[in-house]
Amino acid sequence: MRRPFSRARVSSVSVTAEGIAARSRREVVLDVAFDDRRIYSFWLHRDGTRRPDGTRLVPWPHAIRKFLDGTTRLTLTVHETGQVVHDAEVRLGQDGAAGGAGRIAVVNKDGQPLSLDKSLRLVQTFDNRSEENVRPLLDAIDHVLAGLQAAGLEPFLAYGTLLGAVRNGKLIGHDSDADLGYVSAHEHPVDAIRESFRVQRALVGAGYRITRYSALAFKVDVVESDGHVRGLDVFGGFMRDGLLHLMGEIRTPFRREWVTPLGRATLEGREFPVPADTDRFLAATYGKSWRVPDPAFHFATPASTRRRFDGWFRGIRTGRPQWDRFYSRRRVPGAEPSELARYAAQREDPATPVVDLGCGTGTDVLWFARRGTPATGLDFVRRAFEAAEEEAGVEDLAARFLTCNFLEARSALATGGLVGAETGPRVVLARHLADNVDRRARRNAWRAARMMLHDGGRLYVEFLVQRGDGVLARRERAKIRRPAIVARELRSVGARIVERETVKIPRAGRSGGSPTKICRMVATWE
Amino acid sequence: MGVKDKALGVAGRFRASATHDLRKRVAALEAEVQECRQLNLRLAELTDLVTDLLVPLARSDEAGMREVLAKYQESI
Repeated sequence: MRRPFSRARVSSVSVTAEGIAARSRREVVLDVAFDDRRIYSFWLHRDGTRRPDGTRLVPWPHAIRKFLDGTTRLTLTVHETGQVVHDAEVRLGQDGAAGGAGRIAVVNKDGQPLSLDKSLRLVQTFDNRSEENVRPLLDAIDHVLAGLQAAGLEPFLAYGTLLGAVRNGKLIGHDSDADLGYVSAHEHPVDAIRESFRVQRALVGAGYRITRYSALAFKVDVVESDGHVRGLDVFGGFMRDGLLHLMGEIRTPFRREWVTPLGRATLEGREFPVPADTDRFLAATYGKSWRVPDPAFHFATPASTRRRFDGWFRGIRTGRPQWDRFYSRRRVPGAEPSELARYAAQREDPATPVVDLGCGTGTDVLWFARRGTPATGLDFVRRAFEAAEEEAGVEDLAARFLTCNFLEARSALATGGLVGAETGPRVVLARHLADNVDRRARRNAWRAARMMLHDGGRLYVEFLVQRGDGVLARRERAKIRRPAIVARELRSVGARIVERETVKIPRAGRSGGSPTKICRMVATWE
Repeated sequence: MGVKDKALGVAGRFRASATHDLRKRVAALEAEVQECRQLNLRLAELTDLVTDLLVPLARSDEAGMREVLAKYQESI
């Protein structure tokens, strides 16, 4: 990546409702501050659009637009030189309005100051944080390092955390998390993945809360003193064919002795393990110019590296960010069951246990349990069914909820085995699962269903086949699927399709237009 | 159009179609390589699960097996 010219001349700065515009012949990184507090940084050329007058307009980042109503003293500083190129009161309003009378405050609901990290996400960054707030993070780094060491790894500070430690012994103000890495003793992706799974189990066993990003990287959640939950990312790596592979960006010629035996570096007054040759390691991460600060740095990962990491390790979180966002607000289970739940209940013995694959808020699970049918709900977002789980506990219902990610074969198989080990026939529901997940996840889901139906019972599948102009497709975030394909997938794992129908969804109070259609399928295993 | 132009035109079309064909083949090959890479994760997942279960299975230790499975399921 080309470095910005250190003596760039920035002129014609203007601040409008659209964004910040300026002119500079050379690329330059600019820091934006509101009332003397840095909010974000950008590269003028990379992030801006050239206008006819030669200036470049960098639009307001989406994440801070909602705050831009009022006045602020906006300072624009050249990051490398500290030269102030704009310093004036500005009034900003939303949707063409003149702007409110108050000061613009980029804060969270508790009034804590926020800024944008390098990915332009709103975060509480370290430059707003007191020593008291940083200490728990350092403790957390120690704690996670200890866990990883106990599991037999040699972890070290990586990415931005390493950069801060080596450059000036401080956490980087514009960064929002702490990154750890390790280079496995294994040299094959399969072995490195197995090791990562084993380490995750060891950490969970020791009481850590883990969210897996890929087969070789996960996040450890740490609760800080103010209740703020911060994630420590643990990136796995391995050497192969003379190349260092480190999730999620690095694949470069390297030697093991540049990593281990590990060295030490000081971060915020505390010593931590770092790779043996931090210069080479940081050059591999950020390029040879890693010593020059760049708060708006973007990784330019080569396509060949991304392809390898995608193929080897990724694909276990497809669609997850959307569902995490969807359930980020607490959602309560609905009062009415789904049509599929009613449909299955009419045909089945109420004593036969029900399993809902992709149960979401757990509405159907609670409905079955209240009718006296033991019910299990599975979903890959734990938060989705937390409220239902609580309700089930309060009402002492025969309902249980398990986290299960059908994008991971081990999760599908372990869950299938666990449920299938309980003897007797069962009813398995998969409502808008097939139209939400990809072929790989469906294959795992059908295998899990087969295991759960080991002693007989039926699988009820419902999915979208025609979008129409109703709201169902959007509400369920469903993509259309062809019944013949779903039927073929089910048959390929030994299922027999005993019923199959396409149902038109009636729309309240409207006629005409294009109808939404779903397919209902019932399958059994002999 | 002279004979030479015609020949060039035919050659151009041939080259274009050959390039198109090669592009398609490269795209197909890339997809196949990616499929092979994805086997790494599947293999690792299966080996991981089997490794954890095989000892209680061989011992016919039903309670132990369920405990291992429940722990395994929860730790993912």
